[in-house]
Amino acid sequence: MITIPYLTAVSTYFSYGLLFAFGQLRDYSRRIFDWWSTNNLHGYAPICLAHEDFYIRRLYHRIQDCFGRPISSAPDAWVDVVERFSNDNNKTLKRTTKSTRCLNLGSYNYLGFGSYDEYCTPLVIDSLKKFSPSTCSSRVDAGTTSVHAELEECVAKYVGKPAAIVTGMGYATNSAIIPVLIGKVCFCCYLSCGDVTPKTYVLQGGLIISDSLNHTSIVNGARGSGATIRVFQHNTPAHLERVLKEQIAEGQPRTHRPWKKIMVVVEGIYSMEGEICQLPEIVSICKKYKAYVYLDEAHSIGAIGKTGRGVCELLGVDTADVDIMMGTFTKSFGSCGGYIAGSKDLIQYLKYQCPAHLYATSISTPSAQQIISAVKVILGEDGSNRGAQKLARIRENSNFFRAELQKMGFEVLGDNDSPVMPIMLYNPAKIPAFSRECLRENVAVVVVGFPATPLLLARARICISASHSREDLIKALQVISKAGDLTGIKYFPAAPKKQEEVKDTIKLD
Amino acid sequence: MMYVRALPTTDVNRNTEWFTYPGVWTTYILILFFSWLLVLSIFNCSPGMAWTIVHLAHFSVTYHLFHWKKGTPFGDDQGIYNRLTWWEQIDNGKQLTRNRKFLTLVPVVLYLIASHTTDYQNPMLFLNTLAVFIMVVAKFPHMHKVRIFGINADQ
Repeated sequence: MITIPYLTAVSTYFSYGLLFAFGQLRDYSRRIFDWWSTNNLHGYAPICLAHEDFYIRRLYHRIQDCFGRPISSAPDAWVDVVERFSNDNNKTLKRTTKSTRCLNLGSYNYLGFGSYDEYCTPLVIDSLKKFSPSTCSSRVDAGTTSVHAELEECVAKYVGKPAAIVTGMGYATNSAIIPVLIGKVCFCCYLSCGDVTPKTYVLQGGLIISDSLNHTSIVNGARGSGATIRVFQHNTPAHLERVLKEQIAEGQPRTHRPWKKIMVVVEGIYSMEGEICQLPEIVSICKKYKAYVYLDEAHSIGAIGKTGRGVCELLGVDTADVDIMMGTFTKSFGSCGGYIAGSKDLIQYLKYQCPAHLYATSISTPSAQQIISAVKVILGEDGSNRGAQKLARIRENSNFFRAELQKMGFEVLGDNDSPVMPIMLYNPAKIPAFSRECLRENVAVVVVGFPATPLLLARARICISASHSREDLIKALQVISKAGDLTGIKYFPAAPKKQEEVKDTIKLD
Repeated sequence: MMYVRALPTTDVNRNTEWFTYPGVWTTYILILFFSWLLVLSIFNCSPGMAWTIVHLAHFSVTYHLFHWKKGTPFGDDQGIYNRLTWWEQIDNGKQLTRNRKFLTLVPVVLYLIASHTTDYQNPMLFLNTLAVFIMVVAKFPHMHKVRIFGINADQ
């Protein structure tokens, strides 16, 4: 629940109105200016409509130096950020050869696998020499190696489902798989026992109910599927139940026939809020109304739960109740790609139908090896307890950082134990101010504004890693506090500092 | 310091969902009031004339933004709203919601203030009446997706 001071809300709208007005003025003057100059493209249609990239040209380009900063080292706890300069007011940015060493608060490096790891990296280099960087073919042609088979088994065992399928890109996992599972026309696949060939039945009418703050990959997959999409209020099981009841009662849009398949799509940790999904309530509602549950654990797998098995372990939900579990390996495992875990029938069906499996190049073999080794480290199967240490450290770090930020008076979102913490900025001018001030002090933060977040709710998103030490976090807190004072984002009153408390935060363990 | 809760909406259209957050109505009214003060200080006219100028400027700006411009300023919603004006997009096309009622009321209230402070004299009265008539008719539920005489229709 986001609590905004009323004056801040009004002033944010004023600021955006001013930026919008200035952008329109500049567009008009550019149009008058260009009317005089000739162009030799008569008869060609414009590549993009003038107002479609209004936001990019007039708002995003002005603060472009805060986004997309190139780095020149592995994204560990400290990272080398390449310096850039611009001669035309941020319209184009040129890289220099210098780089600054900054504290990295932006990478999704939850368990610290983002840089050299003493167990994983030698195995990955061996696999790179034995296989090659790319398999150069899709899974069904010549792209399945023994490492791929081992990876799918390993992922299925880790997540707690009978079988899994792995694709080479996390975004493509959602946008290629959701259209296969559900659509305007739903294929229903039965494998009767003893019969090898699947029988497919064609049914009309699929419904997708997705959380209002789901990631773009899910929105793309849902739109691409052609099924009817309904949205329920973020993380509110009561509203989900109301939407389900309404839709089941009304049936399909024009014919009012009953829906053939209903799928509810939620995420484990929402990356812009740091909130953990209310999975037990949602699963019980879906069971009551016989809807399928699709859980996207991109940020939560490997980062939360006692053994890192994600939100199901944290909230005590039986994995057999969640029908389709999806996740990515980019965040906690230091690799690339995504997976879908489910029943054996489901995975078999996906292997016949999913275009990401049939036509896309398979995940590169060294990356697959990195995932296998990372899972082994997390589960302690490499013979040390580094995995358990990492999981304990990320939980400690997240809770410490969040508590300290809240004590300083910042508005921090997210539940306890979640390694993602957005600090609310609201005003559009504070977005570049906060980002540049932190970079000046050698702390690299990620700021997000409209349209990735709602208009009012711009934020700076901090991602804590298990490789951050206590000194790193304390330095980060000092820098963020100073930048916060300068930009005025301490919207809540700071907790009163007691003498012992001050001593505690400075004493190093 | 007064705090207000921001509940996340179910509107997926980022062009219109900003209108569902708290503080928009107050900002709108404050912008109108401050522009009246601005007009008074620049043109040095009577308060009634200033209200007429504000009303007519408000009419032209909001007609262009709400009922003329179509589509969204972003490219990544793949043009599904390219045939709809902003007025047809808000609240997912549902008619007679609180936001729509508020936006219909504002030009009417402005009209009443402008005509009262100019003592109902012509030609201001005629211009003001024309403006408010066009504004209110454009916001009727029956005018949803209607293009009169093909004005502003797509090719």
